[in-house]
Amino acid sequence: MKIHRHRGRVGLLAAAAALSLVLTACGNGDTDGNQDDGDVSGELTMLTPIYEGTEGNRLLEEEILPAFYEEYPEVTVSVDYQTYGTLNEKLTTAVAGGLIPDVMMMGVGWVEAFAANGVLAELDSLGVTAESLAGDYTPQIVAGGTVDGSLYALPIMLDTRFGCARMDLLAEAGYEQPPASWEELRDYAVALTERDGSGTLQRAGFDMLSMDLRQMYEVFLFSAGGSLFNEGATEPTFNSAEGVAALEFITGLMNQDQVEDIGFSNTDADVHPLLNGRAAMAVCHNNLWIQLQEAAPELADQIQPFLINGTQPGMFFGGTLATVSASSENQQAALALAQFLAGPEPSLAANEQRGNVPALTELLDSGYVQGNPLVQFAMENLDVAQREGGPPQWLEIRGDFSPAIESALLEQKTPQQALDDLAEAARAAMGR
Amino acid sequence: MVAPAVAHAAIWIAVPVLATLVLSFTDYRVFAAPRWIGFGNYVEIWHDQVFRKATWNTVVYTFFTVPFSMGIAVVVAVLLNQKLRLRTAYRAAFFLPQVTATVAIAMVWLRIYNPQFGPLNGVLSFFGVPGRAWLADPDWALWSVIVVGVWQGIGLKMLIYLAALQNVDENLYEAAAIDGASPVRQFFAITLPMLKPATFFVFVVSIIGAFQVFDLVYVLTDGGPANATTMMTYEVYRSAFQDFRMGMACAQSVVLFAFLLFLTIVNRRLTRSDEK
Repeated sequence: MKIHRHRGRVGLLAAAAALSLVLTACGNGDTDGNQDDGDVSGELTMLTPIYEGTEGNRLLEEEILPAFYEEYPEVTVSVDYQTYGTLNEKLTTAVAGGLIPDVMMMGVGWVEAFAANGVLAELDSLGVTAESLAGDYTPQIVAGGTVDGSLYALPIMLDTRFGCARMDLLAEAGYEQPPASWEELRDYAVALTERDGSGTLQRAGFDMLSMDLRQMYEVFLFSAGGSLFNEGATEPTFNSAEGVAALEFITGLMNQDQVEDIGFSNTDADVHPLLNGRAAMAVCHNNLWIQLQEAAPELADQIQPFLINGTQPGMFFGGTLATVSASSENQQAALALAQFLAGPEPSLAANEQRGNVPALTELLDSGYVQGNPLVQFAMENLDVAQREGGPPQWLEIRGDFSPAIESALLEQKTPQQALDDLAEAARAAMGR
Repeated sequence: MVAPAVAHAAIWIAVPVLATLVLSFTDYRVFAAPRWIGFGNYVEIWHDQVFRKATWNTVVYTFFTVPFSMGIAVVVAVLLNQKLRLRTAYRAAFFLPQVTATVAIAMVWLRIYNPQFGPLNGVLSFFGVPGRAWLADPDWALWSVIVVGVWQGIGLKMLIYLAALQNVDENLYEAAAIDGASPVRQFFAITLPMLKPATFFVFVVSIIGAFQVFDLVYVLTDGGPANATTMMTYEVYRSAFQDFRMGMACAQSVVLFAFLLFLTIVNRRLTRSDEK
């Protein structure tokens, strides 16, 4: 079964290589941007936080890159594997040392900082524009790689966050559908929370701690109709009434309703609480499906995704994009690699390995997406998803989010104070 | 003859230190050339509540880990200086945390502190004591980190004390025994005074090590919850690699260096006056 799949994948990769060439040619509307694969050559370095682990390395080195080399025999690629946790350090030292990789994978929200500081090549000048991607990607995903109207990054995969419910546990409590509003979410969570005789939490009605606090908060912020920054990303708006309401709702769940206790779970939990019955609902990541298949396949029919509805449906998306270094001596080759990796089959393979959401809308019909309810749910609801980022200082600002959310959860500050202080720090960063 | 040593010191010590000092007066963000801002970074540090918290946490961490681990280390060293069966194995066991990667140690302690499945809460529960979210509770997180720091720090200190104990004249103990001094009296009247030079060395090295604690915090708590366990080195790291503010990171490093220099000088003065 697996061999069969791999055979099919190699064939599709070859087809993808051809397709990427077509895309490249389509993108190159002017003569400057034209590239013949015979002209594309050079030694490339690539920095990537995806394709991690043995399986990821194998996928890249034994399937994706060989297919790329078939089309571009004069190009060689050296891969520097990192994780998202170490990517900042690597990029910082690379920039400081003047050894910037030709192709860099980075997250949504990172592009602005590196583009604004001249690290990334403007892809428009290389013949690929946001308009040329418009038919293949939803606009907000393309916007994640666009700065001041110019395209700097090609989307490969998305990470989404939304609500997930254990329907068997909900059914035990008499609920047949996931909560459709904040009020229902609170009611369900309170009813589903279980403690033993000594008051020790046995099951969280709604788990918020297995998710990065910033991203968890952003789901509620977006569902409250709030945003991180104003339209021009010149002023923080997460401390608006909507933002405060979102944080008040979260802290209320934790401290007044006590649907979860501090320390009950964390982002490094071996098994997600939904899968071992320690939580009835949670804010979850689309790659939960991968863990479910490994740890609790019998729950496949019981995990149901849902949009968290405040004044509007809220869903968060991040993602991984391919960029080209502005200082690359082999920009055409680097662009060819970035386009190849963002092409249908390589990106499908990478998404399948990580359990993520393909950025290309045409992949909604793929077997992988159709067989993964969480990814399918995410793709079907991308129109309501919002991303983080905005100002070039986002990478500096985002690090202060979790301590601020924590300070509210721990009742060291009111939600308003926590967000106001955070907004003040954000303004200071944006003013530097 | 001294040229290689001077070159080494210049290239690997003087230049980086001077560069750090100079960059601390700049707004250097990696992407662009440094811009001179005078004492701007230092003024910001002075008003930075998080760095102030980090400084306090570092002082508390040092204040507790250094004396506690030194105290335990000297007792263990004296015990392991006796003729015991499996003495070498005991010595190796105590030294093991020192040669084990801190990340691995931290991972083990993460398990121990796990509020739901960790053995610590399991043992407490057995005795009817309610467990805690050790690393997630701001009232306990720093103390939990300190305990790991003490445990990890015993090995090296014990080794230095063991080495120093080999130079203590056995005749002193024999004379004291003849005079009727108990082992405890011998420990306080002979062992500790004779270990004073080693103690000074251990103290200085331990303070420097404690002020530079990073990986333990990085793995155990990531500075949280709500900055309850952030340290000076952790803030340096955040400034450099999260905020891309190399100039600020350099200024914070200089502040850290000043702390260490001050403590070392004070300790040296105290020891000197003691020697006189």
